[in-house]
Amino acid sequence: MRQKAKELLESGEVKVVIGYGQGSAPFKSTPIFIEKPEDAHKLIWNPTCVNNLTVYLRDACRQGKAAIVVKPCDARSIIELIRENQIERDDVVILAMSCPGVLNLDALAEIDLADVKSVEWHQSGIAIKTNAGETIIPSEKAFASKCLSCELAESPIADKKFGEPIERHPIRSKYADIEELEKMLPKERRAYWARQFARCIRCYACRSVCPGCYCKECFTDKPCQLWVLRSTDVESNWFFHFSRAMHTAGRCIACGECERVCPMGIPLMRLNQKMRKEVREMFGEEAGTNPEAPPTLGTFDLKNDPDPCSE
Amino acid sequence: MEAKVISKQDLATWIDALVKQYEVIAPVTEDGVVVFRQVSGLSEMTIEGMVGPAKSLREHFTPPTETLFDYKLEDLSAEVIPPENEERHRVIFGARACDAATLLYVGAVYSNVEPIDTAYFMRREKTYLVGLFCNKPAWSCFCTEVGDFLTNPVAMDVYLTDLGNRYYAEPLTPKGEELIGLGNFRPADENDKVANEEIRQKALERLPKRAEHETACLSYDWDHPVWTELAKKCLSCGACAFLCPTCHCFDIQEHPKLKKGSRYRCWDTCQFEKFTLMASGHNPRETRKERTRQRVFHKFKYSQERYCMLGCVGCGRCIAACPVNIDIRRVLEELEKTAVAK
Repeated sequence: MRQKAKELLESGEVKVVIGYGQGSAPFKSTPIFIEKPEDAHKLIWNPTCVNNLTVYLRDACRQGKAAIVVKPCDARSIIELIRENQIERDDVVILAMSCPGVLNLDALAEIDLADVKSVEWHQSGIAIKTNAGETIIPSEKAFASKCLSCELAESPIADKKFGEPIERHPIRSKYADIEELEKMLPKERRAYWARQFARCIRCYACRSVCPGCYCKECFTDKPCQLWVLRSTDVESNWFFHFSRAMHTAGRCIACGECERVCPMGIPLMRLNQKMRKEVREMFGEEAGTNPEAPPTLGTFDLKNDPDPCSE
Repeated sequence: MEAKVISKQDLATWIDALVKQYEVIAPVTEDGVVVFRQVSGLSEMTIEGMVGPAKSLREHFTPPTETLFDYKLEDLSAEVIPPENEERHRVIFGARACDAATLLYVGAVYSNVEPIDTAYFMRREKTYLVGLFCNKPAWSCFCTEVGDFLTNPVAMDVYLTDLGNRYYAEPLTPKGEELIGLGNFRPADENDKVANEEIRQKALERLPKRAEHETACLSYDWDHPVWTELAKKCLSCGACAFLCPTCHCFDIQEHPKLKKGSRYRCWDTCQFEKFTLMASGHNPRETRKERTRQRVFHKFKYSQERYCMLGCVGCGRCIAACPVNIDIRRVLEELEKTAVAK
């Protein structure tokens, strides 16, 4: 991957390679932007590469052709960006990694993080080396929740693939997180979300990290508007999160970034998975699968409408 | 003032006594997140082996949303209704030394110009802080780089250290002695003092050594390449600022209805694009480069110039929460390389 990145920069085919670099701790990676071939060695690939880097793609492609390192799940964001005319297919070189799953930082709760020396993939999960020795965290605990239901053996779109396709055996259903919520009475569900949203501090990290949230001006940022108050009461927070879920419906690829970055631990993927399920059932579509297909909620096909209002 | 000791068995009774007399706010775990909330007893609290809570004390001194006043409109006149002073005297239990130190800095900001921020100082006056020493600082902690309040606490009334089966308690103010008087404490003996010292040393060994930020940061480079680098990855979310206990900027908004309404203030941050957007359409901090620079300069340079103190207490929340791993310690290291060279 480093070699390919170097070649792309040397030949001038791309202006930048967006990838993962070593973060400020052994269990953290950080997005890096390689512009010089001699810096290609800074690229890393390990279980800490959790970010969905495609959030940077729109800006990068405006400056010229860009290469990007992606996991199979992230690649679906590229499909969405192409499908929604946010980037051109020809403006991006997709370096698709084969991915066994990424680290769920919560899995290290019992490990002294200040002591961690390295985080590596292991045949039965993730191996954490500390001063005290090596601990193997089993897959079902070590990997992010999205990885446990991942079915993508390889990237659905790529220019160059690295590593062998990985045989996938999802150990939980894609919609496992919402089964419990769906069983609740409306009143109970309302109470559940009210408690979650009461914690929201409206830092908008969920919005900023989302490749699907690309509006030039977010409805929450409009000055002198009363669609949504800036106050952090439950109602305003609720309105913000539900509007965002509606706005990303049909384009959310379930990368889980919103939930990962929420400093208040709000289970936002439960909202998004519900929307994905609804979209699949109503329109028979799954975001991030076909770059040629028109945007799910951006088209209206009267002939093939599965639920025509007129009937 | 004499140090005291309370056994862990007696802790619940002490908390009960505090709850009877005061509103007690302490760390609790809510859906896996540790936040400071009002509690009615020890069983609700998360204090054993706790690392710093996700949210600092900030929301209890400057709430994320605070009504400044309500108003009613009648014909051509308006009636302004000031907010009720709701809080009774309260004890914040389990405050970290870094969060307590924040009160000195934010207090300086809110009393710097007339009129002083009465809402903030009213809350300060009504609050007693029972601090808790950090036996095991987190990977992101760097309080020792920006001060020595971990071992010389400020703005606290009592400082507790977990000694395993008992708490070592140092009363730091007369009010602190009064609070201790409500529990079954005994005077600390030589063993307790040695144990306390050992735990402190162990914690200090985990933390970075004190750096010379005070002198270096005044010559930070405005055109340093680090700003361009940061701007590439920063997403301009406000997680760092909203979790930061010293960040204090707010926006004033109105919630008008037909004949009544309210004016409130709510947290705002220099990381948001619209923070500095002017009515003319001009934005002096239009790109992420200017905005990331502003945050670091405000904490480490402007705060020094204005209040002779750093605007950072090293709690590390910004480091742990940043979605893209921007680590302010590494940023400072980069800046200091050139600052020292100058």
